[in-house]
Amino acid sequence: MRRRAKIRGIVVGSISIVLSVIIFIVPFAFIFLTASKTAAEAALFGFTLPTEWALVENLTEVLTIRNGLIVRAFINSTVITVLSVVLMVVFAAMVGYVLQRRRSRWNPVVNFLVLAGLIVPPAVVPTIWVLQTLGLFATIPGLIFIQATFGLSFCVLLFRAFVSTIPKELDEAATIDGAGPLRIFFGVVAPLLRPVIITVVVVQAVAVFNDFTGPLYFLPGDENATVQLTLYNFQSQTLNQWNLLFMDILLITIPPLVMYIFFNRQIVAGMTSGAVKG
Amino acid sequence: MSVHKRRLLGGTMAAAAAVALVACSGGGGGNGDENVEITLLVQTGGTGPAWGEALIEAFNEEHPEITVTLNSQPGGTEGDNLVKTKLATGEMEDVFTYNTGSLLQAINPDQNLVPLGDEEWASTLIEPFVPVVSTENGLYGAPNGTSQAGGILYNIPIYEELGLEVPTSWDEFMSNNDAIKEAGKTAIIQTYGDTWTSQLFVLGDFGNVTAQDEDWATEYTAGNRKYVEQPALQSFINQQEAYEGDYFNEDFASALFDDGLRMVSTGEGAHYPILSGGVSTIAQNYPDNIGDVGFFPLPAQDAEDTRATIWLPNAVYIPSTTEGEELEAAKLLVEFVNSPEGCRLQVELNVPAGPFATSLCELPSDVPQATQDLQTWVDDGLANPALEFVSPIKGPNLENITVQVGSGISTAEEGAALYDEDVIKQAQQLGLEGW
Repeated sequence: MRRRAKIRGIVVGSISIVLSVIIFIVPFAFIFLTASKTAAEAALFGFTLPTEWALVENLTEVLTIRNGLIVRAFINSTVITVLSVVLMVVFAAMVGYVLQRRRSRWNPVVNFLVLAGLIVPPAVVPTIWVLQTLGLFATIPGLIFIQATFGLSFCVLLFRAFVSTIPKELDEAATIDGAGPLRIFFGVVAPLLRPVIITVVVVQAVAVFNDFTGPLYFLPGDENATVQLTLYNFQSQTLNQWNLLFMDILLITIPPLVMYIFFNRQIVAGMTSGAVKG
Repeated sequence: MSVHKRRLLGGTMAAAAAVALVACSGGGGGNGDENVEITLLVQTGGTGPAWGEALIEAFNEEHPEITVTLNSQPGGTEGDNLVKTKLATGEMEDVFTYNTGSLLQAINPDQNLVPLGDEEWASTLIEPFVPVVSTENGLYGAPNGTSQAGGILYNIPIYEELGLEVPTSWDEFMSNNDAIKEAGKTAIIQTYGDTWTSQLFVLGDFGNVTAQDEDWATEYTAGNRKYVEQPALQSFINQQEAYEGDYFNEDFASALFDDGLRMVSTGEGAHYPILSGGVSTIAQNYPDNIGDVGFFPLPAQDAEDTRATIWLPNAVYIPSTTEGEELEAAKLLVEFVNSPEGCRLQVELNVPAGPFATSLCELPSDVPQATQDLQTWVDDGLANPALEFVSPIKGPNLENITVQVGSGISTAEEGAALYDEDVIKQAQQLGLEGW
């Protein structure tokens, strides 16, 4: 009986390993192989080893195309992602904390605004008018504020839900010890928010890094390119350079991949703690 | 007197030196009032940005006092929306490339663009190009790139091997198909994995419709002609007959545009109804086979009516937000696009797929075989513009309907009726009379 259970475990385990290989590794291998081919061979879309390895050539061509547009795009994307996620975490944590702890007649109004931020779709032209008035249109700070604003509502909801799991007695103990409101937030509560901060960082960093329409409309101009916009350099109606396109995809996939490898444990912990206690 | 003369001479020399100095500072692209900065917008993808860079470099040799900055943006649906957004918010670049025909009408040229009808080059445009960059109130664009045709790219070695002649009527075309099928080869290549390629039987046949009924497009816009009636219905019937004849490649339902070009250039298939712009992909992926691919228009029932269907090139425009000395500089750049050097750049980076739209440019002699074939049809006057350049009506679902007809799901009559239904909404949105 025990032996049968053991065999069953092995079978189920192997099947799930094979499935995850098919689902996760095969597409990645396809990207890598296509990125190593010549233009003509890549257009065949075969899942085969390249007859002629052109990995280095493709890499240099993608990196040097249009005076290193892609390198600039990587710098821009990194700056935008890091700064907008920092803004989101700091502000959403503060709002979520106050909203959960302090009951007042403003709460329904704030809650309504937070929900409105999730429900009302952003309109492009009026947003551009606002940015033009502020002198922020087509600037990197402008897009950082836009990304932070669009992501804030969701983060506030996550933080508010998480704060409710932190015992209020901790705050009270700190007050008795003589800590002011700022000290309580940064000294006592913020360190406890670690799991949900990681969740927010991962979810929003991926969203901002992968955003296409935001940079497209709010950040025109070649010196402002972001990585997702560079994908369009290799496609048009009648001429596609699939090998270069896949090389670009490969390069863009690497940063999130590296992040996942390093923060693997924290990400899983953050996800589950957020999910269970939310 | 002599003193006087010397003073005069000295004055002149000083003036000349001053002029030379000014000219020098201008020539160095330095500071001063003469330096104008403008921006140029091109579409990413393909050779757009490379063309833009080369154009600016060549332009600066002639006009070093003008600094041009290159920007790029995606094409397609996102690009259309972005162009409209930029025009609405006054953020459009000083010179930009965009589509001609119905897409141009959609960005409201009278309000948003600078009319260029008084420029010198405007009188050199070929006749079919003028209406596609104009409204009732003026002409707005200068052509950029070569035109292309919708028709059949065919594999010349197969034709030679089987001793076939280029068909001019539909019956000849079908008997060629039979001969190719008997020889065990794919007669007609279809690639419904990229759905837009399925429309060519209908869109590429429009030159023949115009040949039979000159006013068809105008009457169609007015709501008096329909696809369910002849001669236009024939386009759908052709596609149905091609399917029923079992001429297609086995994987026609899932094959892609790139696959189709591979088949026609390497001889896996004989006929590929497609835009002649495909030659640029063949030149990139199968440079050895570029001489093996020829072009002929989709044949009409009667050889007398067979015409090439021409897609006119894109154009460069100036938005009305560009004013003053920027506007003057922008106009110089637009003119430069079709200067001898500009013409050379247009064909150097793009494989030309058809004739130019202005008499200022001429095709070089080493263009691909398919382009030469097309050129003879145009030179003989046997070419008409495609429907999207002569009528604003183009239903969004044509590519799905032609996939249905080409896969035997619907008959030609059903497909044509569906398409007539599809365009009603769009005609009403455009506020056309008679719908």
